[in-house]
Amino acid sequence: MTLPKRLCLWCVVMLDSLVFMMGKFEARFPVDRAYFESHLWGQQAGDLLRVGLTSYAVRLLQDVYFLDWQIDPDTPVRRKQAIGEIESSKAMSTLYAPADGRIVRFNEALLNDPSLINADNYEQGWLYEFVTTSPLLSPEDYLKVLDAGWDQTQRMLKNQFNE
Amino acid sequence: MAGKKITVVISQAPGKNPVKRHLEEEIATQLILSGTAEVSVVPHLYDLTAEHTGMLWLKSLRGDLVVLGWLYPRAIRWVLDRNGVKGKEGESLLNLSEEEHEEDDETPPELAAEIDSSRKGIGALNVPNRTLFAIDLRNDPDPKTYVKEIERLSQVMTVPLVQIGGIGGIPLRTSAPASPPSGVAGASSVNGASSANGATPLNWAAHTNGATNGSTNGAANLSGAAHADGESTAAKANEGLHIIPGDDIRRRWYPVIDYSRCTNCMECIDFCLFGVYGVDLLDRILVEQEDNCKKGCPACSRVCPANAIVFPEHKTPAIAGAEGGVVEDFKIDLSKLFGAPSALEMAVLERDVELVADGRNAVGVSVGVPKRQSSNSPAPRDDLDDLMDDLDNLDI
Repeated sequence: MTLPKRLCLWCVVMLDSLVFMMGKFEARFPVDRAYFESHLWGQQAGDLLRVGLTSYAVRLLQDVYFLDWQIDPDTPVRRKQAIGEIESSKAMSTLYAPADGRIVRFNEALLNDPSLINADNYEQGWLYEFVTTSPLLSPEDYLKVLDAGWDQTQRMLKNQFNE
Repeated sequence: MAGKKITVVISQAPGKNPVKRHLEEEIATQLILSGTAEVSVVPHLYDLTAEHTGMLWLKSLRGDLVVLGWLYPRAIRWVLDRNGVKGKEGESLLNLSEEEHEEDDETPPELAAEIDSSRKGIGALNVPNRTLFAIDLRNDPDPKTYVKEIERLSQVMTVPLVQIGGIGGIPLRTSAPASPPSGVAGASSVNGASSANGATPLNWAAHTNGATNGSTNGAANLSGAAHADGESTAAKANEGLHIIPGDDIRRRWYPVIDYSRCTNCMECIDFCLFGVYGVDLLDRILVEQEDNCKKGCPACSRVCPANAIVFPEHKTPAIAGAEGGVVEDFKIDLSKLFGAPSALEMAVLERDVELVADGRNAVGVSVGVPKRQSSNSPAPRDDLDDLMDDLDNLDI
């Protein structure tokens, strides 16, 4: 099977992660956890689901310097509810709850040093602990989402420069 | 020889931010010392109630006004309008972004005061024949920027008349600074302190000290001046300076309608289930019960098809009244990727959050949401379908 040149998905199963090519950048996604469509990973830690940004998100953000939560810990949330803001030198975004559930606590370490998100987004740079009954995507399904949306994402980002 | 002074209103930032206070004081001081303007200082416009002394004072001001505030100019203009402080829209060069600035170089400043007529709003009512310039103090931390612009506006707006009063070319000064002295005008150039102050000394320290009992030190202190020893909160009328304190101000949250964009379609009144909107005798939409508005909720602004609803204190610039999106450092906005709901989804969510907080039932999209696409054929499931199902499945 030959891959057309423009298709960037390389389903290479490295030892512990899948890889998606964002242009020339190798974005990695560990297989030891699940994923949300909105570019968050979720990993079970006891009763709670620890949530953080995937390498796809971090690659687009680049150097994070500001992170702010607008709800208190231990608060119920609805899917797509705005819960905070993130800002880097090149990008910014509101952060939204990936599913209905309850945000139990935030990673305090990040509030002093959001750059942990860039340094170690899958471990030390986790964002918050979450409780939800909604299903997550498997790493393979998440990669499918990335692949399906890559062209559109690039167009969306380019359009922002033209607005 | 001094020209007709322009009236400047400085609307103080809420809270006690020393940096902002300092900027306000510097601008006021420089304007007074240069004799360019009659300066009034009032509390944060958005938080003033209609009956507050500050608002009543603003309504009494005649003639062209320059209003400086910690809000977007659109927000300043329409907050004033809803309180009966109206005027033609004046364009200040300070409110133009970099690119717009280049385009407008050929437009003489006087002619820049035309309202953009492509907006098809129902417009403000009963606009008097004077111009209102609204300037956002977050533009620039340097007081000189504002003073220079006000001097320019003052020259542009002044109609030179033959001087008919005063001694030796110096205009007579009245003690009540309610409006610029009428009938006394000179050449439109506004000179510095020396001639304007000929008759009376313009000493900032003397004013604040003289007018208030045991007031502060020589430095201009706009917040302390009027209530230094907790006495009356009446405004102190100083030479060209009028201060109205705001100790009694509470933070407020309510929508402000931009009538240059509002088409009176009534979607907001259908959507808001808290009774904030109403209609006036002419059947025009107005914000009737502003204190019913749920603090922090901007849902109605998202459903307005004309983007005519402004929540000046909201963190998103477009909702807070910014003209055409953010002008500062360009950053890509990843919100769509990070799971942002559509405007309608967000409005429905926010409204449900407020309903539930109020002890009422969430309604989802079932109430007050126009069926804009009933003529479309059914489409595959999308996020809104998911939202509907999620809402239906909630156990409330």
